[in-house]
Amino acid sequence: VSATPFAADLFPLRTTIRIGVTGLARSGKTALLTSVAANLLALGAGRPALPALAEQLGGRRLRVRLAPAEASDVPRFDYASHLAALVADPPRWPERTTAVSLLALDLEVDRDGLLAPFGPRVRRLEFLDYPGEWLLDLPLLDRDFGTWSEATLRRLEAPALAPIARDFLAFARGLPRGAKADESLALSGHRLYAETLRRLRDETGLAFLQPGRFLMLPPGPVPPYMHFFPLLGHGPLASLLRTRFDAYVEAVRRDLISPLFGDLDRLVVLADILSALHQGPAAFADAQAALAAASGALRWNLSWIDWLAALAQLKLPPRAIRRVAFAATKADHVAARQRGNLTALMRRLTLTPTEEAATAAFAVASVRCTEDVVETLEGRPVSAVRGRIIGESRPARFYPGEVPDAPPDESFWQHRFLSLPIFEPLRPPDAGRGGVPQIGLDALLAFLLADIL
Amino acid sequence: METQVRTEIEPFLRFEPEAAPRLEPLPVALPPPVPLRRTRLPVVLIGIAVLALGFPALWAAWLVSVLFDHAAWLGWTGLAIVLAGFGLVGWGLASELRGLATLRRVDRLRADLASGETERVVAAARQWVEGLPQHANLVPAITAAGTPETVLSLLQAGPGAELAEAVDALGRNAAIQAGAIVAATPSPALDVLAIGWRGLRLVRQVAALHGLRPGLTGTLALLQRTANAAASVAATQLAVNAAAHAVVSHPFLRHVLGDVAGAGVAARRMIVLARAASSACTPLP
Repeated sequence: VSATPFAADLFPLRTTIRIGVTGLARSGKTALLTSVAANLLALGAGRPALPALAEQLGGRRLRVRLAPAEASDVPRFDYASHLAALVADPPRWPERTTAVSLLALDLEVDRDGLLAPFGPRVRRLEFLDYPGEWLLDLPLLDRDFGTWSEATLRRLEAPALAPIARDFLAFARGLPRGAKADESLALSGHRLYAETLRRLRDETGLAFLQPGRFLMLPPGPVPPYMHFFPLLGHGPLASLLRTRFDAYVEAVRRDLISPLFGDLDRLVVLADILSALHQGPAAFADAQAALAAASGALRWNLSWIDWLAALAQLKLPPRAIRRVAFAATKADHVAARQRGNLTALMRRLTLTPTEEAATAAFAVASVRCTEDVVETLEGRPVSAVRGRIIGESRPARFYPGEVPDAPPDESFWQHRFLSLPIFEPLRPPDAGRGGVPQIGLDALLAFLLADIL
Repeated sequence: METQVRTEIEPFLRFEPEAAPRLEPLPVALPPPVPLRRTRLPVVLIGIAVLALGFPALWAAWLVSVLFDHAAWLGWTGLAIVLAGFGLVGWGLASELRGLATLRRVDRLRADLASGETERVVAAARQWVEGLPQHANLVPAITAAGTPETVLSLLQAGPGAELAEAVDALGRNAAIQAGAIVAATPSPALDVLAIGWRGLRLVRQVAALHGLRPGLTGTLALLQRTANAAASVAATQLAVNAAAHAVVSHPFLRHVLGDVAGAGVAARRMIVLARAASSACTPLP
């Protein structure tokens, strides 16, 4: 009977905004999506959640509901079970997701001023869980097989990585110069290379690993062009691998303009910088390179050449990403005093300009686990955080070390930076109906949605 | 640069000696809502009501005392008349207040249904459905539904859909009458009166359909809510056009409305009004 859903059902006035949420594995995409859904639903139900967004609404009413899946072919984000895990006693962290999924929310927000009689604005927000590994494929778009192979092999030969890459390097070096374009050779080399990438990710915490789709396979059967590996030379095998590399790059390009990924309107890039600070200079430099590559690849804005090229082919020009938010996650593992530094560090790593409206850096904790405390150490007050580590009944007080406000220099690495313990989430009020405790997520959403609310 | 700001404090992770329950978040403080400028009209109305009732009461008391001075039987008769008159006025006022209270109840039910808390939603849903005897069979299903979403879906599909249909029927009837009134009345000034009367009647009919019996002040409050709800209903104008088209194709009006300027608009307004009034009367969020 209520007129508003009636209006929304009858008229295609609804605008869909697709927001990509990307980040390397374990950067907290699932936690962020769960928290976004729980907090927006809570705010829509009139609960106190997301203060920055509530301030932006300025007293206007917001209604939020989970959008029906309809006939979509993209798997839905399993919000209910992820929230249940956070709410459970004892709580669990949501299971890691390994496939693309979509969280869709319908928003209705009252207009203000003279537009009020036209009824509420109706928006559908689609959050697409976009694997960060795929983002690292974007820099491949302007590289050829030769330069990529050379750079990759040189990197694998570095003393820190060589032990893990030993088997693959032995295989690649052992191939005769004029090796035939043999499928079994290509497949063996591919398997060894993919295994090396996986071990580098899991054992050393490296992030900048290409091709990203080797680590996070796209849905569906694996196409034969995926079976390549870096190789120098000009023999028949090298040319087969080059052809496959080119086909792979073409697939990446196609994905960029596909209806699923090409329609991304705004993007959230998550990175666990605090863990990289613990892992040491090599892992940090790698994370820095990965972020710079991702942000550099994303900063493409449509030039007039793109427009002309698209028009010449009688096509619509591809959609540009309007807003990008770079977020350093696990901000609740450092005290409030240090979160400003964490934001500044993220801004500098991604070369985000402070004055630009289209990109911004944040320090967020999608699911807050700790509270701020002041600990007295040798007579001096130290800002720390307090939380319960999973499986422990006694709360712990934690101070990982100083967070730099810029990419750290040599002297930083002389000091220790502790690894982050796995804290249990704070209890969500009213079993999640009152939202999920968070830090900075409200500011991030207020930035992403500023022009549509 | 940061070597200068770095301190010598050693990082630490230290457990407290005592076990503690799971940590709870501090309550979130939302920015205070923008204060709305309240109109002074209700205060003025209350003042007028006090004057309108107070002076006649004083006058009646004086009159009764004078009548008693003349003769006892005259005094008793006067007192009986005054008590009967003021009693009726009081009874009328009480039923007005009851009408207003039922409107408040709708607001409370609406807030409960939108709360997202299973217990509150189920209790509110039961309370609403129990007031609609034809849907009493929904109560077990509501009690069994585990989530607020399921309860709301049940309500939308059951009483919600049925009420919507009935409201549309009332709207269509009123639209046909409004069209006919505009076609039949000789002057635009009379149009306004007649359409206004029909609109008011429609709002009260829709309220009655939702189990509300608003009196005069209740109707005024309902009209205010209907005006508020009309903003969101305005978005349904296109649907209303379709509904109005159905009305306009009524065999009698098809000939009349085409020729009389404003008749179609009046008909369309009745359908919008029915939906806006329904939106103001229903507790469904």
